Amino acid sequence: MANEKMIYIHPAPVRVWHWVNAACFVLLVITGFQIRFAGTLGLMPLKDAINIHNYIGFLTIANYSIWLYYYFSTGKIKIYFPNPKTFIGNAIKQIQYYGFGIFLGKPNPHVMTPENKFNALQQKAYAALMFVFVPAQMITGVFMWQLKTYSNYIDQLGGIKVIDTIHVILFFFFASFLVIHCYLATLGHTPLAHFKAMFTGYEEHH
Amino acid sequence: MKTTSLFHLLFIVFLSCLWPSVLLATDNSECMDCHSDEGLTREAAGDVSLSRMSDQLFLDNDKFHLSVHHLNEISCVDCHSDIEELNYDNEIPHKAHLEPVNCTACHEAEGEAFSQSVHMEIRGKGITMQCYACHGYHYVKRLASASVAERENLFCLKCHNADNYHDWLPQKQAHFAFVECTVCHAPTVPSHIHLNFYDLVTNKFFNGNQIIEALGIGFDEFLPLIDTNKDNIINTNEFEDLLLILRQKNIYTEVHAELVVELEPILHNVIKGGSTNECEKCHSADSPLFDAVAIVLTLEDGSAEHYEVEKDVLNSFSMSSFSALGGTRVKFLDKIGLLVILGGICGAGGHLFIRLVTAPLRRRNKENEQDS
Repeated sequence: MANEKMIYIHPAPVRVWHWVNAACFVLLVITGFQIRFAGTLGLMPLKDAINIHNYIGFLTIANYSIWLYYYFSTGKIKIYFPNPKTFIGNAIKQIQYYGFGIFLGKPNPHVMTPENKFNALQQKAYAALMFVFVPAQMITGVFMWQLKTYSNYIDQLGGIKVIDTIHVILFFFFASFLVIHCYLATLGHTPLAHFKAMFTGYEEHH
Repeated sequence: MKTTSLFHLLFIVFLSCLWPSVLLATDNSECMDCHSDEGLTREAAGDVSLSRMSDQLFLDNDKFHLSVHHLNEISCVDCHSDIEELNYDNEIPHKAHLEPVNCTACHEAEGEAFSQSVHMEIRGKGITMQCYACHGYHYVKRLASASVAERENLFCLKCHNADNYHDWLPQKQAHFAFVECTVCHAPTVPSHIHLNFYDLVTNKFFNGNQIIEALGIGFDEFLPLIDTNKDNIINTNEFEDLLLILRQKNIYTEVHAELVVELEPILHNVIKGGSTNECEKCHSADSPLFDAVAIVLTLEDGSAEHYEVEKDVLNSFSMSSFSALGGTRVKFLDKIGLLVILGGICGAGGHLFIRLVTAPLRRRNKENEQDS
């Protein structure tokens, strides 16, 4: 324990946002499966699934707005944008670590700090997630919440089938992301280290 | 001479046989002599029980000519059967107050279905609903080609404000736009999906003649042109080919799908509490609502030519403007989704497996580091 150092990585607003978002994602995926496979799954009545999906969807949008405001107002948003000069090298090191070094017990090439908490791969993945995939899912979700109200936009984007397809493909992607994200969270110095840190805010450095 | 006399005699006998019907058969044109006058109105009845919904007695002959009754050669006196003869010596050549028309004299099955309906039940509350409350009087049109909006506006929405009673229904405006009221409220009536061609240039529906003229064929040649495998049903590939052909003919169209009921007498059996609010009954892949699909080429008289289409067309991207949750989902996406989720599970599981297998190696490496 002597060589452990606690570093405050995750501020309270980020932790609250993260867990609210996590709960919303899980509920959206469960209700999403029920909506998609209404005739096959029997988790809950379709009407309830749709209503829960709608309410949780708006909660997710509100939560995202808080995240966006917090990260932009504090300037922390830059942690999502990698340095173009070092990105490729860092990404290769990170791929080597996850694909090989981790099995040999090699140290993680990325050292987490409050100013640079994501490794190169996380930066790229989360930037795509937070600035492309999540907004696309929210916009298509709102369109499908009131089809008639947004019919002009839907038609301009190619019709309801196109909107539905984008929403469904992203839904499958997010369902898969939840699995991978939870697994990657076990890759700390102990399997629960990152989980604890997302509650306390402190990551242990060795 | 003898032969000629016999012929005259037979002719007189023939005429005498016709005499009563010649006397009774009042031609529509005779009625229109007076009723084409836009100013013709009924005098206010002293007896309020003889009052009618409208005082106007004018009849628009052009609109009447497009009515289903005129097209079926039903004359005025076939319905207004209490007019036995016209006496032009009088100011009004027939009875001033005619009996209400008895539609069920011809439409017996419709009357039977109606008698079991909620619209008959309301008579218990003192409200009498006659056929013409929904159908109107003289301009009853064929409805086979009518859109959901036309059907709703002409009938249910005259009295009912659907918006007030469907707050439980997700996407209620979309349901109102794509599903005819009676699909749910007369649930014993068969229904089918109408596919219409919407003109993206003029923002109006193409009628059948426009489509047929653009293709340079007759109505009889439409199915043989599209149904290349000659099974009398248009499959997804043939449907996509049709859209391509139309595009080549400068018809820029979007296919519009609507769920409408078959125009059968039982349609009048609208019942209270008979509709379902279980979404799954409609929104599932095996829902019968999506089994019958037809391209509809509409005709000017309100009739339509139907061409059967495979239900899989609804699940395809050719139907860009129609999607019913569960019922018409693109199943190919489910396969992609399964692969994406399995990929995530296998990736994480595989990585975990290698971590578990290589745990002794890491332990040994750590011990070596500590020893050194």
